Amino acid sequence: MADAVAEKVIATLASVKRVPAEKITLDTNLQEMGIDSLDVFTLLFELENAFKISIPDDDVRSIKTVNDIVEGVKKLLATAPPNTSVGSTSTAD
Amino acid sequence: MAARRVAITGLGIISPLGLNLADTWNALREGRPAIGPIKSVDGSKWGLKIQNGAEVRGFDPLKHFEGGKDAQLDRFAQFSVVAAREAIRNSGIELTSDLRERSAIVCGSAVGGQAAIEAGFEDLYIQGRGRVHPLTIPKTMSNAGASHISMDLGLSGPVYTISTACSSANHAIGQAFRLVRDGEADFAVTGGSEAIFTVGMLKAWEAMRVIAPDTCRPFSKDRRGMILGEGGAMLILEPLDAAKARGAKVYAEICGFGMTSDAHHLTQPTVDGPARAMRGALREAALAPETVGYINAHGTGTPGNDPVETRAIRAVFGAHADKIGVSSTKSLHGHALGAAGALEAVATVLALHHGILPPTANYNERDPECDLDYIPNHSRAMQVEAALSNSFAFGGLNAVVAFRAAQR
Repeated sequence: MADAVAEKVIATLASVKRVPAEKITLDTNLQEMGIDSLDVFTLLFELENAFKISIPDDDVRSIKTVNDIVEGVKKLLATAPPNTSVGSTSTAD
Repeated sequence: MAARRVAITGLGIISPLGLNLADTWNALREGRPAIGPIKSVDGSKWGLKIQNGAEVRGFDPLKHFEGGKDAQLDRFAQFSVVAAREAIRNSGIELTSDLRERSAIVCGSAVGGQAAIEAGFEDLYIQGRGRVHPLTIPKTMSNAGASHISMDLGLSGPVYTISTACSSANHAIGQAFRLVRDGEADFAVTGGSEAIFTVGMLKAWEAMRVIAPDTCRPFSKDRRGMILGEGGAMLILEPLDAAKARGAKVYAEICGFGMTSDAHHLTQPTVDGPARAMRGALREAALAPETVGYINAHGTGTPGNDPVETRAIRAVFGAHADKIGVSSTKSLHGHALGAAGALEAVATVLALHHGILPPTANYNERDPECDLDYIPNHSRAMQVEAALSNSFAFGGLNAVVAFRAAQR
């Protein structure tokens, strides 16, 4: 896989679910791989740390596949400068 | 419904002495302490003076939790689930849908998810990240252990956690006993868990000046304080009749519970409060004091606790006190705070079951103020009829559980 963003997203996902990265592709459906709402919170947290981005709550609801995440991260990276300031994170509740 | 007799039919434990029941019992029986240099925490940057503790070693959460579930549970809750699973397997009970609804889970934990909250504070205050792990709240909550047992085993009756510092697990076991005895539940998982090896927690204990620099020597004249421990232990309680009907192995009966408060001082114990708790447990159990042959003492190894507990035992038992084997197994597994009563309940129940009383390890020298038979350093083969397990907490909260050997 030549896409660095996709590679990092898959590595993060693999780490959160404790599965080998080779088992995850862009087409992998999150629900089918057993990702529940708590996993999503953790995944978003790890992605925000990994890419130094802040993911708005509204962007989260439409995510279904790994590719949705990759596209979403790319969009955030393209539109916003890296953001690590205090209070920038989205909240889960 | 008439009061029912309550049997203990399953035990599960993960402790500094071993990752399961068999290993833990072997170490208890052989009097092998699990106290040594603390390895899971590096406090050098913070000037941590506490050197020794009793840690659970070699525990791999990935062997017990799949698909990233391990990261959803703080270590203390992992201990709860692992101990509960072993206790269920050990009991051989078949969890029918009816029994799942008629179940109860009552757990003790003094601190809850300390590692989770400290990791969040480190992210915030030290790393300046401005965000904490999203599961910090559900990992930290003290009821996480009990809740995860409920979800893991599919038990859907009353589930709650009691947090009364070092008496937490005994209060929990006492409540579970009464729920089963009184017909509120037909089956209970009860005990406690704790995981407190974190920099913040150790520094807080250091400030109290009650931790021994070397090891835990309860009742010994040269004792210098307590040693912190961790772990989890769970007991399976059932009505004795139901246990017999399904041909279950009955380890012992739990037959009484006494609780009092000192209404005196935040940290200094009284003789009267613990004595009244022991009397209360005996009264509820309808046990004559002369039937008690073993007491698993609170026995923290602090200068303050041990003479006061000795006097309380004398106050309750009079001349019979000299015939009771009294040991503090904290000398072996450390003081696991909210899990202490659970670890010690397992030790007490196995003492009744095997006819072997675990010792007070690291005992060197007789203290004139601690003048009972403390089973020094070597376990004792002795079948006793009944036993007490004492837990006394900061805040002056006393909880004593009474056990009776199973009829053979």
